[in-house]
Amino acid sequence: MGVPAQSVAADGDLIARYLAGEEPAAAELVRRHATALARFIAAHGAPEEELEDLTQETLFKAFRALGTFRGGASFRTWLLAIGGNVLKDRRRRWRRNQVVALTPDIRDPSGDPGSQAEAGWAAERLQEGVVKLARLQREVFLMRAQQGLGYDEIAAGLGISEGAARVHYHHAVKRLKAWIA
Amino acid sequence: MDRMNEELPPGVGPAWKALEARAAERAARVDVERVAARVLERLRREGAEAPRFRWMAPATLRAAAAVVVLVAGAAIVRLTLGSRESVRLPVGIPAMDSLSSPQLEAVWEATGEVSSVVDSVAPPSTGVSLDDLSETQLETLLASLSGAEG
Repeated sequence: MGVPAQSVAADGDLIARYLAGEEPAAAELVRRHATALARFIAAHGAPEEELEDLTQETLFKAFRALGTFRGGASFRTWLLAIGGNVLKDRRRRWRRNQVVALTPDIRDPSGDPGSQAEAGWAAERLQEGVVKLARLQREVFLMRAQQGLGYDEIAAGLGISEGAARVHYHHAVKRLKAWIA
Repeated sequence: MDRMNEELPPGVGPAWKALEARAAERAARVDVERVAARVLERLRREGAEAPRFRWMAPATLRAAAAVVVLVAGAAIVRLTLGSRESVRLPVGIPAMDSLSSPQLEAVWEATGEVSSVVDSVAPPSTGVSLDDLSETQLETLLASLSGAEG
């Protein structure tokens, strides 16, 4: 799937403008991508109180490293990959502090109370499963299932082959299915 | 994205939908304008920061290099002799004798991780410099090092 070509071009233009010293271009990029990035981070099981900080940290690191961005993947995908790295570091702290990331208000937004409770339980199990996935499996799964990216785009963003991206996704789904069964 | 959800097997799909709805809800609470302002503020403050190089006087650099060479040599000797014999090098670095405390601290920072190796291989400096070693002691030291290399 991937980000439409026009959007990539527009991001590229904003990146060039920011690198040329135009600060508002960076603000525009943040506005464009921050919510999707936050969603990606939230689905990783990030605690609510750290979500904004993690989003900020990822964007800051991305802009600092913007000179190294070569455009092999879209800016969004590149950003998500950096988010994965930021999360990797933060995850150690969560493990130390035994953070329980989910609150019990996960529910199926369309269902009745009975099915909501069931969906809520399954979603909690699924979230646990997502957290327990190997890092690449988790990132590939979320990039595809949540962000709707194609394997080629995911592969470019994570620096792996397209075949490897497919395999990671397949294993992730298989493990998640077993986890919530 | 619906196509992606359709890829998910029964059981995972509805749970994913609920989880994703929750993630989207939480993400929507992130104040994008505040994030943008903070990112820009940090970039202004830290973004242009050059890599942190700490100026060190040539004498300090020489001393640091000497420490590294000494530690490497001692480590080689230790690895070569194994646990049969512990090697102690009662040697100070001549140039370090004249260093101030901050300079010494800079030396240890420069040698960084190897300082722990120093501790494990050789005791803290005894205040004896290479100049203080007798000819026999120097020959023994050199023999140890050359033996380790050979």
